[in-house]
Amino acid sequence: MTIKIAVIQFPGANCDLDAVHVLNDVIGVNTSLVWHNHFKEADFDGVVLPGGFSFGDYLRAGIIAAHSPALDEARIMLKDGRPIIGICNGFQILVEAEFLPGALLQNETLRFVCKWVNIKVINNRTAFTHKMNKDDVLAIPIAHGEGRYYTDNVKKLEENDQIVFKYSTEEGSITSEANPNGSLENIAGICNIEQNCVGLMPHPERASESILSPKQTTHGRIFFESMIEFIKQRLT
Amino acid sequence: MTKVNLNGEEVSVEMTGDEFEKVKDLLDREPTITELGGFDVMWSEHCSYKSSRPKLKLFEDAEANYDYVLAGPGEDAGVIDIGDGYALAFRIESHNHPSAIEPYHGAATGIGGIIRDVLCMGVRPIALLDPLRFGRLAGNSHSQWLFKYVVKGIADYGNCTGIPTIGGEVEFDDSFENNCLVNVACIGLGTIEDFKHAPSRAYNPGDYIILMGGSTGRDGIHGVTFASRTLTEISEADRPAVQIGDPFTKKMIIEATLEAVKTGFVRGLKDLGGGGLTCATSELTGDGNTGANIDLRKVFTGEPGMTSYEIMLSESQERMAFIVKPEGLETVLEVFKKYEVAHAVIGKTDDSKVLKVFDGEELVVSLPAKALSESPIFKRQEKRPGYLDQLLAQKTPEPTITLKEIIEKLIASENICSKEWVYRQYDHEVGVRSVVKCGEGDSGVLRIIGTDKFIAASVGVNSKHCYLDPYEGAKGGLVEICGNIIANGAEPMAMVNCCNFGNPEIPESFWYFSKAVEGMNNFCRKLRIPIVGGNVSFYNEDEVSKTAIKATPQIMIVGIINGLENIITLPFKESGNDILIIGETEAELGGSEYHSVIHLIEGGIPPKIDEEKIQARWNLLFELYQKRLIKANHDVNKGGFIITIAEMCFKDKFGADIDLTGYNVNNLRDDELLFSETVGRFVIETNPKDQDEILDLAEKFNVSVNKIGVLTSMPEINITGLNQDVKLNTNKMKELYDSTIPDLMEI
Repeated sequence: MTIKIAVIQFPGANCDLDAVHVLNDVIGVNTSLVWHNHFKEADFDGVVLPGGFSFGDYLRAGIIAAHSPALDEARIMLKDGRPIIGICNGFQILVEAEFLPGALLQNETLRFVCKWVNIKVINNRTAFTHKMNKDDVLAIPIAHGEGRYYTDNVKKLEENDQIVFKYSTEEGSITSEANPNGSLENIAGICNIEQNCVGLMPHPERASESILSPKQTTHGRIFFESMIEFIKQRLT
Repeated sequence: MTKVNLNGEEVSVEMTGDEFEKVKDLLDREPTITELGGFDVMWSEHCSYKSSRPKLKLFEDAEANYDYVLAGPGEDAGVIDIGDGYALAFRIESHNHPSAIEPYHGAATGIGGIIRDVLCMGVRPIALLDPLRFGRLAGNSHSQWLFKYVVKGIADYGNCTGIPTIGGEVEFDDSFENNCLVNVACIGLGTIEDFKHAPSRAYNPGDYIILMGGSTGRDGIHGVTFASRTLTEISEADRPAVQIGDPFTKKMIIEATLEAVKTGFVRGLKDLGGGGLTCATSELTGDGNTGANIDLRKVFTGEPGMTSYEIMLSESQERMAFIVKPEGLETVLEVFKKYEVAHAVIGKTDDSKVLKVFDGEELVVSLPAKALSESPIFKRQEKRPGYLDQLLAQKTPEPTITLKEIIEKLIASENICSKEWVYRQYDHEVGVRSVVKCGEGDSGVLRIIGTDKFIAASVGVNSKHCYLDPYEGAKGGLVEICGNIIANGAEPMAMVNCCNFGNPEIPESFWYFSKAVEGMNNFCRKLRIPIVGGNVSFYNEDEVSKTAIKATPQIMIVGIINGLENIITLPFKESGNDILIIGETEAELGGSEYHSVIHLIEGGIPPKIDEEKIQARWNLLFELYQKRLIKANHDVNKGGFIITIAEMCFKDKFGADIDLTGYNVNNLRDDELLFSETVGRFVIETNPKDQDEILDLAEKFNVSVNKIGVLTSMPEINITGLNQDVKLNTNKMKELYDSTIPDLMEI
């Protein structure tokens, strides 16, 4: 059977077409762009909440999209273990919809930041990281104004192995210099306890083609290849 | 302000008394107040180009002379055919006056406006570029405030709409202290079919006119007439005339517009900018040779009780006008409903050639459709400023500090240092097209997904050079900006410009405009570069200090690179390779950063342009590219070629041993040789084994090419062959280069 992925198009999403391009043309998986009001979970094996400024990020980043009917559909997928990834604004939406714990605050500098950073793989057992090695360092870009991860219970995250990525140096050291936005403990991405839902601020879809990467890396692909592999294993 | 008598009542208008008489002659009656408002706006300098039009006629024949130009000057954006069925649309315009009053919203709505101009050509906006001018930052909190919020306004708007800001430039100079320049450029990409679906005219009677997007409010009424007046102290009170942007609505408008165009039922498209509904409806029908009936009661307004005058002249942001085939009305409306964008059918086109606007039963406007665009033309006087002779005669004083100290001061100076603080705030990667990103090359390079074709674009000009000689300065800007994209491997295909000048009623100010236009025109004709669009911003003067800005004819060039392997990048690649310089250095320190930073003078002889030499160098470069003989390329700009070399060293921490013994053929002083800003030079990296072949080709192309050094892996640049040896530490230089703007802005 064919695997089908949905990229949800919230009003104001702007990395939606980028994700569709990478999934369809680079990874080669059947992917549809689905308007948020039209999304039906039964049609899909996995879902991507793309980056952008859903509903203009008015009120607070991700909060309005978190109340879209698309999230009710996605909640069914969350419960039955299908893979869900939220990238950048998608991460903000997942946090606001309480798929994932914590909050994303304004960057420490109070400025938007667009640059390539390095992230270290902390948990390689999630639906999106199981083809990575623990402690791998990935080159990947960020572009956000509200990406400073915060939680009042980081211990619980650690106990449940919910920290997936931390900002690091190229060599893998977790330092304050390597932290681009002031995130608590350099956290760049987290997952739910069941590990089928991952949210992260960096953009794997921008890091999937060597032509776009300063060092010709394609680390972003591994996220999507892991997802496909995860779906295949679930289906068999 | 002029006071005129309208039907027995005194009314204040921006137009002159003569123009008011011309309106009455044209109509053969007194205009209604709404009609008068329309004329007042449409005949303003900003909308009518009444001072600049006679001069801009020079640019008018791009479509006729170049078979790949699909739309030229006079359209909302220039459009070129770049092959493989693709069309590229682009335009640049100014948003100076609103930004000087309210930098955040002024800059943001500037971005909003330029996106609409490109969108209404039926193509997807894929890139933004922003050349900016401010007063010097050091010790000036007003300049810092303007700079900070203009950048934030651009970032917040561009980032939210998902259009990457891939380039720009910024200069700091006292003349811009109270009149900053915010120029915004946008590039759109689509198929030639998309473009053909979206003419900006209503040529078919019986079509529906739909207004779509933001609601019409009282904001921005008379924003246009305001932009054509010199800024005064009272301008702060004009604050309500600056509009507020809504990038989220804009994003919805972009998606809804592109989807509507794809239905094939759209027959015309126009954005609502300066002059609002008046401008859009009169231009659609006037250019299309049709007429229309508009019902203002159908227009969705942002507040109750708006008069017909206010609705017709409102410049509320985020609005588009669609001309739709009757049989496709429902389909197009369905698209708008999906994206939840407000819309209303406000009228129908007809063959009357008259624009009729009703407020319920009352006919409030009844004008020949073309009347509003028939503004008077002013033949302005021009006069070369008397102060120029003295300025040009300024001699370069002997420096009192070492060359090393000078270079370190220059690389840390505001106009030369890294602009990373700016471009980190712009999402320059959204859209997954950015191949050469901000800070990595002389231009921004975007891929066209699904092809092996790339778009390169760059924007800028040197205001200090133009101040001393607008004719050569404008040409120099073209050499520099073409040089930027050529350094990345692209061939220049077309140019658009944004002319920022002072008050055209002052002959000395108009002379600058006139000479700059002549310079651009002559250069572009000689080098076969079509000028496909432009924008003019006059009245950039500050009545408080009685100074005009330095003349700034901003130039944007787009070009194409075929094949990934043909993209050339800036950073040095391998130690042991040769460093060559293409082009001689002349004694041209006039308007240089060296003069202003080290000697605090503005005069001297600025760079002159020899088109034949420039053409020969470009030809040589493409020959060398084709033979794969160039490893890195960076064009020489502000501060001279040592700055260029340092910038090429930074990324991968190279150093260079430079020997200038054989290069100083013009017997220049050391400071002239190092810091002259002679335009059209390039520093290239080549393999030593190719040296003979390269020098042979240089001779064949009659181009001066000199080996001036070799790359090393040590973090230092050593310069010999001068009267004093210079030893620079590249780590320290990089630190100076990087820290200037953050140090000034993060306090």
